[in-house]
Amino acid sequence: MIPKLCYFLKLLVFIILNNLILKLKLNIDGLLVYFPYDYIYPEQYSYMLELKRTLDAKGHGVLEMPSGTGKTISLLSLIVAYQKAYPLEVTKLVYCSRTVPEIEKVFNIIYIFITHCIINSYFKIAFQIHFSSVKYLSFLALRFGKEVDGKCHSLTASYIRAQHHSNPSQPVCQFYEEFDAVGRQVPIPPGIYNLDDLKDFGRRKGWCPYFLARYAILHANIVVYSYHYLLDPKIADLVSKELAKKSVVVFDEAHNIDNVCIDSMSVNITRRTLDRCQTNVETLQNTISRIKETDAAKLREEYSRLVEGLKEANVARETDMYLSNPVLPDEILQEAVPGSIRTAEHFVGFMKRFLEYLKARLRIHHVVQESAPQFLKDIYEKVCIDRKPLRFCAERLRSLLRTLEIADIADFSAITLISHFATLVSTYSKGFTIIIEPFEDRTPTIANPVLHFSCMDPSIAIKPVFGRFQSVIITSGTLSPLDIYPRILDFRPVTVASFTMTLARTCLCPLIVGRGNDQVAMTSKFETREDFAVIRNYGNLLLEMSAIVPDGIVAFFTSYIYMENIVASWYEQGILENIQRNKLIFIETQDAAETSMALEKYQEACENGRGAILLSVARGKVSEGIDFVHHYGRAVIMFGVPYVYTQSRILKARLEYLRDQFQIRENDFLTFDAMRHAAQCVGRAIRGKTDYGLMIFADKRYARADKRGKLPRWIQEHLTDGSLNLTIDETVQLGKHFLRQMAQPFRQEDQLGLSLLTLEQLQSEDMLQKIAQIAQQA
Amino acid sequence: MASLSEEVLLVVKRVRQRKQDGTLYLMAERIAWGPEGKDRFTVSHLYADIRCQKISPDGKAKIQLQLVLHTGESTTFHFSNESTALKDRDVAKELLQQLLPKFKKKANKELEEKNRMLQEDPVLFQLYKDLVVSQVISAEEFWANRLSLNSVEHSLSNNNKQEVGISAAFLADIRPQTDGCNGLRYNLTTDIIESIFRTYPTVKQKYAENVPHNMTEKEFWTRFFQSHYFHRDRINTGLQDIFSECAKEDEKGLKSMVTQGVKNPMVDLLSLEDKTLDEGYGTATVPTTSNSSNKSLRENSNSAIIKRFNHHSAMVLAAGLRKAEAPSDQASETSSTDGNSRDSDLFQPPLKKVKLQEAIEYDDLQGDSVRKTISLNLKKSDRYSHGPIPLQSQHYSTSQDIINSISIIQHEMRSYKPRLTQVMSSSAASSAITALSPGGVLMQGGGQQTINQLVPTDVQSELKHLYTAAGELLRHFWSCFPVSTPFLEEKLTGHLEEMLQAAYNKFQAWQTRRMMRKT
Repeated sequence: MIPKLCYFLKLLVFIILNNLILKLKLNIDGLLVYFPYDYIYPEQYSYMLELKRTLDAKGHGVLEMPSGTGKTISLLSLIVAYQKAYPLEVTKLVYCSRTVPEIEKVFNIIYIFITHCIINSYFKIAFQIHFSSVKYLSFLALRFGKEVDGKCHSLTASYIRAQHHSNPSQPVCQFYEEFDAVGRQVPIPPGIYNLDDLKDFGRRKGWCPYFLARYAILHANIVVYSYHYLLDPKIADLVSKELAKKSVVVFDEAHNIDNVCIDSMSVNITRRTLDRCQTNVETLQNTISRIKETDAAKLREEYSRLVEGLKEANVARETDMYLSNPVLPDEILQEAVPGSIRTAEHFVGFMKRFLEYLKARLRIHHVVQESAPQFLKDIYEKVCIDRKPLRFCAERLRSLLRTLEIADIADFSAITLISHFATLVSTYSKGFTIIIEPFEDRTPTIANPVLHFSCMDPSIAIKPVFGRFQSVIITSGTLSPLDIYPRILDFRPVTVASFTMTLARTCLCPLIVGRGNDQVAMTSKFETREDFAVIRNYGNLLLEMSAIVPDGIVAFFTSYIYMENIVASWYEQGILENIQRNKLIFIETQDAAETSMALEKYQEACENGRGAILLSVARGKVSEGIDFVHHYGRAVIMFGVPYVYTQSRILKARLEYLRDQFQIRENDFLTFDAMRHAAQCVGRAIRGKTDYGLMIFADKRYARADKRGKLPRWIQEHLTDGSLNLTIDETVQLGKHFLRQMAQPFRQEDQLGLSLLTLEQLQSEDMLQKIAQIAQQA
Repeated sequence: MASLSEEVLLVVKRVRQRKQDGTLYLMAERIAWGPEGKDRFTVSHLYADIRCQKISPDGKAKIQLQLVLHTGESTTFHFSNESTALKDRDVAKELLQQLLPKFKKKANKELEEKNRMLQEDPVLFQLYKDLVVSQVISAEEFWANRLSLNSVEHSLSNNNKQEVGISAAFLADIRPQTDGCNGLRYNLTTDIIESIFRTYPTVKQKYAENVPHNMTEKEFWTRFFQSHYFHRDRINTGLQDIFSECAKEDEKGLKSMVTQGVKNPMVDLLSLEDKTLDEGYGTATVPTTSNSSNKSLRENSNSAIIKRFNHHSAMVLAAGLRKAEAPSDQASETSSTDGNSRDSDLFQPPLKKVKLQEAIEYDDLQGDSVRKTISLNLKKSDRYSHGPIPLQSQHYSTSQDIINSISIIQHEMRSYKPRLTQVMSSSAASSAITALSPGGVLMQGGGQQTINQLVPTDVQSELKHLYTAAGELLRHFWSCFPVSTPFLEEKLTGHLEEMLQAAYNKFQAWQTRRMMRKT
C-alpha cells in the first residue's frame, strides 16, 4: 500500500506544483497576488494597482473599466490576496451586484479562482440570492414569497416556540429547531456555498437554510449578494447589520446605484393601500379588545416595556422578524415611546386618525407638492398629530404586532407601509418630497390618486454604508463622468480612475449618424420625433444595416411608447417588410415573460445563422441585464438620446433638489443620465477583446461636445472627428469596411505583448510605463 | 425466391439466355429471367450489382443486351421476337438506363463507405484482412452488422437534404396591386402558399376543412386576405370570419410559448432581478392596472402589431427548425431536466452552468493548454479505477486511505505559503520533477515493469490481431442468439463453428510457432 500511496501523493504534489507554476503570481506593489490565468490584460494590472492604493488608504474608490476586461477577477484576486496578507486589516469582502445572473457569474468566477489559485480552502464563502426562496425548502407547497414568510414566521416566532415548550402539540419548524439547537456551535466546513449548496447542506444536517444563511454571512470571508441587502434599510437591518466594520464593500455595475438608493427609501400610497390598511386597523382593534378580556396582563406588560424604551429593539431575537424599521436614528433607540401612543388602544386610535388624514389628503382634485415639514405642520393643524409620536410609529407597530401574537404578518404589509411612511416623513426634513397626484397625466378623467413620498437624495440610503465600512469600491463599465458619483452620493473617494481597454485591433466602431441620405437631420428631439422624415430615415438606417451586418443587431429606442409608434409607422410604410427580407424581427414588450421568449428566439435565430434584429428600449430590462456577446450583437443602434421623461413631477423635484443641494445643473444631470444609459446600451455588444461590434448613435445631438464628452473614455477615444455627423450611406460604407476587417481571423499571438501580457512582458520597464498611462485619474 | 410483393415494371417475352427461351422481368430492385414454362428465375441480378449494360450495335443480326456485374461476370440476353425485338430491347434498355443510376449511387456509396471505413480504421482493416481475406467469414457477413451500426448516422448525414427555410418576408412578397377598378390583386405562388401553411399550421387546417367543400380555393384566399388575421393592425373581430379562430389559436400558442418559459436562464428576464422591494416602495410608477379600456385604440393596435411580429418571427423560426428538431430533442431534454442539482448532473453539466461558464470565460487569457476533452461517463467509478485484478488485500489501498491521504495533503497545502524570496531555482525544480516522473530516480521502487515493456512489439501486435479477430468472431457468435430463424440456426451450427475452429487453429499455429522460435 505504501509505495502506491506514495506514488499517488507525489503525483498530486506534482499536479499542484504544476498548477502554481502555470498560473500567474503577480507582485502588485509588494503584495503577492495569485491570478488564475496564464496571461493578463495590462488594464487589469493597472486596475489592481489602483485598488491596492485604495485599500491601503482605507478609503473609498470609484473605478471605471470597460466590461469584458476582467474586472471581477481582478477585484477578487486582489482583495482576497489582501485579505490573506493582512487578515487583521480586511476581514471580509462583501460583493454586491445588481442582477441575479450577474451574481451567479461572480460566484462562478470565485469558484474558478479558488480552485485554480489557492488550493488552500481557508476561504469560506456564503452566497445568497433571495431569502424567501431559501425558505421554499421547508415550505415547498407555498408559492409566494410573502406567504412563505408568513408561514415561516408562524412556526418560528419566539412566542410560538415558547408555547411549544409547554404544549408539544403546537407545531414548530423542525428545521429551525434543529438549527437553533446545534447549528450555531458547529462551524460550517470551509468551502464555497451558493444557495443550492446551502440548501443541500441544510437538508443533510436538518437545519433551516434560511437561518443558516443569515448566520453564515457573519462568518464568511466573501459574501456575494444583491444591492438591496446593503442599501435597503428594511433588509439591511436584518441581514447586514452585523457585518464587520473592516469589510471591503464592492458595488459592481454601479452605474445605477443612485436609483437603487432612492427606490429603497421611497413610498407610494394609493387608495387601495389605504383601504387595506383600514381593514388591518380593524383587525388590530378586534384583537386588542379580545385580548383585553382574556389576557390583559400581556398588554400591561407591553406598556411597561415601552416605558423602558426601545433598547430591546437591539436585542430582539432574530426570529422576530417583524418588517423592520426603515431608519432608526440613534436618538430614538435611547428614548422611550411617547405616552400618547403607549397603550395599544391609543396607538390604534392614533393610526386611525393618521389614516383618515391621509384619506382626506388623497381626496383632492389638484396636484399638490410639499416638503416634509409642510406636511407635518398641516397634519398638526388638521388632526393634532405631533411629530414625535409619528417618528415612533414603525417601532410601535412592531411591538404591538409582537404583543398581539399575530402570526401571519404578511397581511399587515399595508399598515406597515403606512407606519414606515410616518416614521420617514417625520425623521427627515430634507431630501424628501411629497407629491399627491389625483390622476395620471395620460388619463386625466380617471381618478387614481397616489401619494408619492419620494426620496431625492441617494446619499441618505448609502450613508450608513460609507460610514460603517472602511473601503467601499464603486465600479462599473460606464461611470463617466466620474466626478458626478461622489457628488450625488456625497462621499469623498481616495481614488477616482477610468481605465481604457488596450486593444490589438480596434474592435469597436462608434459612429454618430446625424443625417439621412436626404440630409434631413436625424434626432429624437421632442419637437421632431413624430416627423415622418425622421421616422423614415431611422427605418432606412435599420434597413441598410440589416443588409450588411451579419447575425444579430440590437436597436434601442428612447422609450417604450416611442418604439411602439415607430414600429407602427414602419409597418405602415412597409419598411419592416423589407427588413424581414434580411432578418427576423423580435420586439421587446412590456411583459417580461413575453420578452424573455422573444429574446430566446432572437438568440436562436442568431445561433442558426438566420440573423435577427431585436428592437428594445433603453432603461428597459433588456438594456440593463442582457449581454449580447459575439454574434448575438454585431451592431447596436441607439435611436435617439435616451432622456428620462422630463415631465414627471418626481423627476422635476429631484432636479431641483440636485441643483439646490449639490450645485448640479438640471441639464447636466439629465444629459449625464441619458448618456450613461446610452453607454450601457451600446456597451452591451462588446464583452471582451475578442468580441467586436458597431456602435451606432443615431441622433445628431450626440456629436455635440457636451454629450460626447460624457461617454466613457473607452468609447470616446475611438470616436474620430470623421465619424461625427455621418449620413446613412457613409455609415454603411464605414460599417462594411469595419466588419470586413473584423471578420479576419484573430489569434492570441496578435494580442500578445499589446493587449495581453505574459509575466515576463509585464515585468519589463517600458510596459510598466505604458501601464501607468492606462489609468486616468479624474 | 420471387416474393409476390415485388413490383414488376416490365415484362419482355421471348428473350433467350444461354440458348434457352424465356421471359425477362424488370422489377423494382432487380432484373430477373426465367425459362419458358417454369415459375422460377434462373437469373436474377440486383440492380445494385450491375455495373453497366451493353447493347449490340444496330446493324447486327442478333439483338442483345449484356449486363456486366461488379464482380466481372456478365449475362447476355438475346431478344428473339423477330418483329419487335429491337423495340423490346430498347424499352428494356431505356428502363435500365433510368433505374441503374439510382442503384449505382447507392452501391457506390456503400462501396465508398466500406472503403472509407477500412481506411480510417486500421484495426478494422486488420480484422478484415484476418477474417475475410483469409476466408474465415465472407465479406457480406463481415459487413452485415458493421454497416447497420452506422446506418443511423448514415441516413442522417446523407439522405436528409437540408430543408430550405422560409423567408421571413413571405407575406410582404404578396404585394397587393390595384387592378385599376377599385380592387386589389394579390399574387400568390405555390411557394408562398407553402410558406403560409408551414408557418401557420392553423391556416392549413382551415384550408383542409373548408376547401373544396365549403368554398373554392380562390374564395378561401380572398377571405384570408380580407380577414383581420392578415391585417393584424385592424381590430374588428367579426364572428363570421373563419380566421378569427386561427387568431385565437395563435394567441393561445403564443401564450403557451410564454408560459413555457425560456430554457436559457441567462435571458430569463423574470428572474433577472433579486426583487426585494415590497409593493408600495420605490419610485417606479405603479403599473397601471391596465385594463384595455383605458388604452386608446391606437395603442392597442400598436401592441397588436408588436405581438404579431414576435409571433410571426417565432413561427418562421420554428418552421425552419421543425424538421431538425426531432432527433435533437432528446439530447436537449436530458440536459435541461434539472438546472440545479450538482451531483446528479456531474457529467452532463446543466444548461445553466454551461451558459454561465460561457459568460465568464476569457479564451485569450487562458493558455493554449486547455483542450476540450470528452468526459468519461462511468456508472461505477470503482470498477474502473480498480479493474479486474485478483484481490490481494494487503496491497490494496482502500478509498478511505486515499481520502485520508488527500486530506493530509490538503492540510499541508493549507499551511503552504510560497516565499517569493526563497523559491527554488528553476533547474532544481525541473530536476525534482524529473525525479518524480515515472522512470525518474525516485520512482524506481514503486512500479514493477509492466508486461508491455517485457514483450517485443511485433509479438504484441500479432497477439492483438489474433485477439481482435477472435473477438469479432465471438461477436458474430453471440449475435446469433436468441436463435429465432432457421437461417441463424444454420449459421450457428454450420459455418460459425467452423470459423471458431479455424480461428482457434490459427491461434494454436501461432503459439507453436512462437514456442518453436523460443526454444
